[in-house]
Amino acid sequence: MLQDFLSLTAKSVRHRPLRSWLTVLGIVLAVMLVVAIFALGSGMQNLLSKTLQMFGSDLIIVYPGKETNPFTSLIGGQRFKESDLMALEHISGVEIVGPADVSSMNVEYNGEKQSTMVHGISWKALRTIFEQSQGARLSEGAWPTQDDSNEVVLGSLSASKLFKTPVRIGDDIIIRSKHMRVAGILASLGNQSDDNSFYLSLSMFHQLSGKGPGAISAFVKAEPGADIAIVSQEIKYQLLQQETVRDFSVITPSRANQLVGSILGIIESALLMIAMMSLVVGAVGIMNTMYTSVLERTKHIGIMKAVGATNDAIMSLFLIESGMIGLIGGLLGVVLGITLAWGIGLLAEGLGIDGLFSFAALDFFAFFVVLIVTFVTGILAGLLPARAAAHMEPAEALRYE
Amino acid sequence: MTERGHETHRRSTTAAHSPARYDPVCGMNLAGLKGLTAVRYHDETHYVCGEGCRIRFEHTPKRFMGTPLIQLREVCKQYRMGIVEAPILRGLDLNIWEGDFVAIIGASGSGKSTLLNMLGLLDVPTSGKIFFNGKNIALLQDDERAEFRSTTFGFVFQQYNLIPWLTAYENALMPLIFARRRTLEPKLKKRFIDVGLGERLHHRPFELSGGEQQRAALVRALANEPTIILGDEPTGNLDSMTGHLILDMLIELNRAQGKTLVIVTHDPSIAERADEIITVQDGRTLRDHRVHRKQYTGA
Repeated sequence: MLQDFLSLTAKSVRHRPLRSWLTVLGIVLAVMLVVAIFALGSGMQNLLSKTLQMFGSDLIIVYPGKETNPFTSLIGGQRFKESDLMALEHISGVEIVGPADVSSMNVEYNGEKQSTMVHGISWKALRTIFEQSQGARLSEGAWPTQDDSNEVVLGSLSASKLFKTPVRIGDDIIIRSKHMRVAGILASLGNQSDDNSFYLSLSMFHQLSGKGPGAISAFVKAEPGADIAIVSQEIKYQLLQQETVRDFSVITPSRANQLVGSILGIIESALLMIAMMSLVVGAVGIMNTMYTSVLERTKHIGIMKAVGATNDAIMSLFLIESGMIGLIGGLLGVVLGITLAWGIGLLAEGLGIDGLFSFAALDFFAFFVVLIVTFVTGILAGLLPARAAAHMEPAEALRYE
Repeated sequence: MTERGHETHRRSTTAAHSPARYDPVCGMNLAGLKGLTAVRYHDETHYVCGEGCRIRFEHTPKRFMGTPLIQLREVCKQYRMGIVEAPILRGLDLNIWEGDFVAIIGASGSGKSTLLNMLGLLDVPTSGKIFFNGKNIALLQDDERAEFRSTTFGFVFQQYNLIPWLTAYENALMPLIFARRRTLEPKLKKRFIDVGLGERLHHRPFELSGGEQQRAALVRALANEPTIILGDEPTGNLDSMTGHLILDMLIELNRAQGKTLVIVTHDPSIAERADEIITVQDGRTLRDHRVHRKQYTGA
């Protein structure tokens, strides 16, 4: 019985005009979005925790602004006094403090001009943090020791890719019209933004950037074995004594992980909300196309009733059909969603971000649930039209042309 | 229009003393009609509406003392057209006898198609009763009507009314699916061969000629082995040769298998071959529905 109904429905679904398929677009988009989020979400999470692990578990970062909104620190322009930050070195458990700043600057090499991110932080702090916390080494050259020398260290990509000809140790690079000598080139840190940066000492950075004294943030490295949570509490306490920056945040790697996770969560739930709305739009679309179809097939409903179809049978046929349309929309959405995620994954790989998407990480059970949801959505959307079809008087339906 | 007693028959008379209210043969209401024909059976006098009914009655009087297969009493049907109620059937009375081939004729808009829909339970009367073997079926629930339709009636329409996206075979299979009787499927295949569509099973309606479509529709009508076949101008869209072929098939079902056949038609050659002709005018049957030389031959 059910099998017969399914095959009857399958045939009538194939017979549908193209325009009735367009109304399924809502479902397709909704599912596509959900699937893409699912498919990329786990990859994104993995990627981020990997990045954060690489960052070093004994690092504490201090920056202005509330921790929930890191963007205000960049806009606000509030700067710590260097001396306030350096005073943090007296806290027990702190090994070294590196007040830091960052800015985009114009650089010139061999007559070729580019713009790049330039970090300013004392050589000693930078070297300690890179070598001890992040396990990064110079692939060429040597760390500068004098903070007032005209020297620069390049990230691996900024040395090899930024200019047409790769930069070598001892070459001359003009940063903001000042000639600098390339002292060292870092091995890849495995993250795009660090590898694409230039590194200067903070005092040289001040001279070149024209931003004035002070620092936007500070990197604090804890001593081995120190309790990082306690150290960060003490940093917070001590910084409360200074008055130049009222709102500031002290971030440890585990806290950063949480923060990023919750931001990702917010983005995901916003996207899911859009997907839900799109699903509702899709359901209305299906309802619309089913009503049209009831009208278009009035005569056929009459015929089926004349040959013995009960109201329930007509109702079932229409419900199965609307469910099937929902399911087809869902299937299309899943396929397109995976394709979209795969495309984004490829794009990210092209930009050097690996592991954002993998087929192995796909959650097929979730897709199955999605398909069930679209099937049920289709059936719900078909409820009213199917009722209308079922209650037609056969003689009247047959008269309809 | 009024029937005068036929001079060749002695019992021809005016209805002086109150006649039986209904014609025992065609079932029409005789109240108030003049010039009725009286017939006697077992020392009882009955009145019939005219010559045709008299001949049929006298041929097999016992049969017409029984219960008709379908009996309509005072059936009214109104359609609402905007705010106006348009009456289509105005208190129609009719008997359909089992095994008969009945032709329903009448002008366009006379209500003959509506009458056929009433007979086949495709429509519900506004008032009145419809008896099937003595049981009133006018007020059955939707589902009971659906079951009745599927097992008792087979419909053949002027427009063939095949579902365009299904093949001829799938169309004919539909009644079996709805009646949950797929066990009858082997017979279906045989019938397709019988009507000469053995090679056309898997063609869709648009790939078939009109005659082929109507034959497929006929197989569909027979799928559930109904006792009654209802045809609404079944040859109306066909050329005369194909039309005759279809008509012969229908009549063969009536003659050989004893299926009751009720056909609405404009075609005199169909009416010519029927056992009974019912003429509908303004939503009622007319008396004196002409009888043919071919008379009821008993079943």
